[in-house]
Amino acid sequence: MPAIVGAFSLFLLVGSALLDPGEAEFPGPRFVPVIVGGTGLVLAVLLAVGVLRSPEPVDDPTAGTYRTYSDFAALAWVTGGFLAFALLLPYLGWILAGALVFWCTAHGFGSRRPLFDVLVALFLSSLIYLVFGTALGLNLPSGILGGGF
Amino acid sequence: METLDLLMQGFAGALTPMNLMWVVIGCLLGTAVGVLPGLGSSMAVALLLPMTFALDPTAAFILFAGVYFGGLFGDSTMAILLNTPGQASAIASTFEGHRMANAGRAPQALATAAIGAFIGGMISSVLVVFVSPSLVEFSSMFGPEEFFALAMFAFIATASVVSDNVLKGLASLVLGLGITVVGVDSVSGVERFTLGLPELFEGISLVTVTVAVLALGEVLYIASRVRRDREDLQVRKAGRGFLSRQEFLEAAPAWGRGTVIGLPFGVIPAGGAEIPTFISYDVERRLDRRRKKPKFGTGAIRGLAAPEAAGNATTGMAMGALLALGLPISATAAIMLAALQQYGLQPGPLLFEQSADLVWALLASFFIAMVVLLAINLPFAQLWSKLLLIPKHYLYGGITLFCGLGIYATAASVFDLVLLLIIGIIGFVMRRYDYPLAPLMIGMVLGPLAETSLRDALLASVGDPVTLVTGWITWVIYALLLLVVGASAWGALRKRTQRDV
Repeated sequence: MPAIVGAFSLFLLVGSALLDPGEAEFPGPRFVPVIVGGTGLVLAVLLAVGVLRSPEPVDDPTAGTYRTYSDFAALAWVTGGFLAFALLLPYLGWILAGALVFWCTAHGFGSRRPLFDVLVALFLSSLIYLVFGTALGLNLPSGILGGGF
Repeated sequence: METLDLLMQGFAGALTPMNLMWVVIGCLLGTAVGVLPGLGSSMAVALLLPMTFALDPTAAFILFAGVYFGGLFGDSTMAILLNTPGQASAIASTFEGHRMANAGRAPQALATAAIGAFIGGMISSVLVVFVSPSLVEFSSMFGPEEFFALAMFAFIATASVVSDNVLKGLASLVLGLGITVVGVDSVSGVERFTLGLPELFEGISLVTVTVAVLALGEVLYIASRVRRDREDLQVRKAGRGFLSRQEFLEAAPAWGRGTVIGLPFGVIPAGGAEIPTFISYDVERRLDRRRKKPKFGTGAIRGLAAPEAAGNATTGMAMGALLALGLPISATAAIMLAALQQYGLQPGPLLFEQSADLVWALLASFFIAMVVLLAINLPFAQLWSKLLLIPKHYLYGGITLFCGLGIYATAASVFDLVLLLIIGIIGFVMRRYDYPLAPLMIGMVLGPLAETSLRDALLASVGDPVTLVTGWITWVIYALLLLVVGASAWGALRKRTQRDV
């Protein structure tokens, strides 16, 4: 976490330095980002020192069974599924892409009936397409099922 | 009397069959999401926010009011039945409420909570109706200096009060503030931190951040733990909620005290309803200790009644502060503010003049939402617990799908979906390492206000920082800020020496 804060603060500071302020007067567009970025950097250092001095052990009831605190396989399924959904949405269309992300998440959460899940996923994404896309008029892509892209 | 007339007009606007339907749908949806374990009212609002954009503003906000209060009701229902509060403001209710449920008094506990929430919400709504015109008048005295002071107050107070660790709170705030400076600068028109991506010219949408941090981050967090924690949720029976006359009389003073404690917190931007709920719980416990037979620890009805009333009183008042001052006091209120802005409405003094019909219809719908919620929560508690039977993997699969739907509905671009995922991962990391999310939301919402008012004030005074602390209003605000920070520091010190709850 200190790394994220630090990196983001650096991004703000570097971006401010490269920014062309134009002919704006004193508290120009750089003013606030520099303050925020500077504070962030200080905080990141303080937090990092805190973590190094006293690494907080998490009380994990299942310690010993798994090597890491977080379940990275499950995380990978969910994030991967979502990324695929985002990138493939214009091509696959809402129904297929939506079913995909639902299935991946369900799988990541430890569902043991992959084929049945496919049916549930397709049913749910079609239902959403009907309710939101058709009835409420949201512009959901139809993708290859609609034959148009 | 003028206020009453306006309110009546508001009722006329809100009581059309269509709008009434939206209130009921909102209450049902809000309760349904709030009831699901681990999901609170802010999650309900965040998930449903994008869906409301298909409606006209009045209907959307009426729906929202229902979802918001419904989420709070659902939260406390689950806190009592299963000891799983959806968010911090329901934690105080679990202490005695869950014990009542374990002792076989679940229906009574649910009824106590529902009535308490109803009383707190009703009284605060009445107050909001009569106080907000004066709040509006008061806030017209605000210049950039005052708004900057107010924003600083909100920042520091949330960052220091909400988290146990001030550094973590501030770090979360910095992330929120940093996100707001991306995009075209509103004062000078210079484009900042966009990396040349045209999608970022308009900045990062608050809706995207909200859904990413609150909903997707939560899904990722649960995913990272779901196969590790084995907590078997038991569904307990909860029948019709009846209070005996004696129980009612016992709870009544606690409802009153809770409401009184909750009300003032609605206008103080210090992180929402969790603080007043804990304070009122603490007050009841102290009072209880003085009685002949202390009941706390065995399912004391007062220990449940007071926090529930306090929580809803704060929430109701917060809506008033949000509309009149444009000041969100909690993450959920921040989302509501985002929704208003999405419709091109800027909360604050002008809102009451320019969109009077909308504001009063919204206020009227608070009352309707309270009544509807009482009606659907007293008899249906048993039904709500059935929602727990949805298998977890389908539940979270559906939530992920809805996150995608919501963002795609607002932006219709793949770019925003990828952004959603990236910020969602950051939200997950924050949750994993116990960073509070509220400061991020508040920073994100009030960041632009703070920046523009700071720069306006400095431009007007040709760079003289003394201008920021002139005028009695700024003095009062900064004095209050010192008070809040002092109190939370004192509280932190005390917590180290005495651990009770």
